[in-house]
Amino acid sequence: MVKFNKYVDIGEPVATAAGIAKGVAQAAEKHDNMLALLEDLGYPGIAWFLKNAPDRIVECGIAEANAASVAAALAAEGFIPFIYGFAFATIGRAYNQIRQSILPDRFNVKIMARQGAWSALGISHNYVEGIAATRVMPNLVIVNPGDIIEAEKSVMAITDYIGPVFLNLEAGFGSPPPLKIFTEDYPFELGKAYTIKSGEEATIIATGYMVTEAIRVSELLDKENIDVRVINMSTIKPIDEDAIIKAAEETGAIITAENHSIIGGLGESVAAVLAENIPTPMVIVGVEDEFSQSGIITKEMDELKVHFKLGAEDLAAAVKKCIAKKKKLGATP
Amino acid sequence: MTHSEELIKELGEKADVVRKNIISIFEGSGAGHVGGTMSVVEIVTALYFHHMKLDPENYDWPERDRLILSKAHSCEAIYAILAEIGWIPKEKLSTYYRFGSPLQGHADRWCTPGIEYSGGSLGQGLSFAAGLCLAEKLKTKKTPPSEFAKKYMTKYITKYNPTYRVYCILGDGECHEGQVWEAAMFATKYRLDNLIAIVDYNKYCIDGPTTEILPIEPFVDKWKAFGWWVTEIDGHNIRQLVDVLDLTNNLYGDGRPKCIIAHTVKGHGISKWEESHSHHSRGDEVAEGLEEGRIKYG
Repeated sequence: MVKFNKYVDIGEPVATAAGIAKGVAQAAEKHDNMLALLEDLGYPGIAWFLKNAPDRIVECGIAEANAASVAAALAAEGFIPFIYGFAFATIGRAYNQIRQSILPDRFNVKIMARQGAWSALGISHNYVEGIAATRVMPNLVIVNPGDIIEAEKSVMAITDYIGPVFLNLEAGFGSPPPLKIFTEDYPFELGKAYTIKSGEEATIIATGYMVTEAIRVSELLDKENIDVRVINMSTIKPIDEDAIIKAAEETGAIITAENHSIIGGLGESVAAVLAENIPTPMVIVGVEDEFSQSGIITKEMDELKVHFKLGAEDLAAAVKKCIAKKKKLGATP
Repeated sequence: MTHSEELIKELGEKADVVRKNIISIFEGSGAGHVGGTMSVVEIVTALYFHHMKLDPENYDWPERDRLILSKAHSCEAIYAILAEIGWIPKEKLSTYYRFGSPLQGHADRWCTPGIEYSGGSLGQGLSFAAGLCLAEKLKTKKTPPSEFAKKYMTKYITKYNPTYRVYCILGDGECHEGQVWEAAMFATKYRLDNLIAIVDYNKYCIDGPTTEILPIEPFVDKWKAFGWWVTEIDGHNIRQLVDVLDLTNNLYGDGRPKCIIAHTVKGHGISKWEESHSHHSRGDEVAEGLEEGRIKYG
């Protein structure tokens, strides 16, 4: 039986959307200058706004570029605008507006955008570039929560933080729900990784949905007496360098896992930290350099998980490969 | 309303001073966006030295009117004005394009007191201006009446003056950008009657005449179709400028954003630059223009 750390109590799979909605309502209740900026895609927590503060809803329509620049101005006047949409448009289409209108002046805009390799919606919506696209932009904090509890807590945390934030949400519409991982009293801290499971032989650093697969693989490997550490890296920028270096020192093998392109995502962020501080055998698991397509999940199978090799078995193979590298190099311990 | 001859004359002299400062800026840098900067001089002179509500002692006064220079490459004209107001020191005028200077290549809110918006990537300023206007409505909770209210509930409608107004200067070529029209729809939807767009219609882009690059006409009809109050003026005629700007004072509460299409000449005031319709000037062209400018504006 795998033993997890404090604040971890693995439950059933559940979509994070309800957590986001709850977090938005709590943050809106606490901050009366928080505004909901809609892009004609509904809104998490809209029920709270409709009931309590309908005048704080700004419906921008299908005009994401305008929404981003409007949000910048609202922030300039002291509001906290929360934009919500699909990342391919909210980030991809409004990329230049985020870079020009929002970031240079560090306007307090929060961007909640859905993306990931999985959904039934096809190449357009299955956006796997959002983190790469935003990581390179100065002044932006990037958060990618791993379960429903962390989703809820991260909304409040980014609202309390003053400055622009990109909150990465799961794609929905056929993306697999992550496990409920954390307990209600889990203390989410912006910029800090959380070690879900201790271990000595290798470390899986996962983000977003892939934390779920990392937990599953830790259970699989436990049966084979392979003891892996699992780290939830929910803040991708600024990344928790100390946690990465510590894991490399103590386990000597690092595997990263993300529901995103392997180019420019979590894997490369971790690789940069390792290369500069403590070169360590590493395997990056994510979407290879290709676009996604539609796929569905049934009881028997998850088409896209199989296609992209992002399941627990694939991750287990990556862990073994990394441990083999470590042994070959004679790295310590 | 009629404005006195003295006022018009005084503002004309101010415009000359602004051009003089612009010449100083170009002398320091040896290059600049001469065309669009010279075409916008009378517009910004009328705004800053006559129409806009500002506190010269405090550029950050919350109730100030805001100027969003969406065509941020014409920031040389704003720098010339800010130096005259005293928000940037005059001796800094020669530091345009230099590292750490308040005179950045494109207007930058972080670097320059009095600059409201960091621009350079065209087409975004009108959205930003609309956002500022929406913020004013949200803060004051005074939404202008809807068309329905104006028609059926007139006795309940009271006119009001907004806490601040927002002026957004756009280029004609900039209106190629689709986002301008997203913002135009948005402003109409939220009845942002404290938003005044001023198009510096100088007829030229970098590659040639706007009508050939990507025609924007019928331009007035476009704004009208988007639900805006529109008027056309000569953007170098100070009387027309102050008349139309002050006229908008009486229009708040009508629920309509406003667009002033100011017909201008690229490089206005320097014959060499007017002839070439030059967007960006360097080398001999700027040197010859500067020589003329020094003689003309002192």
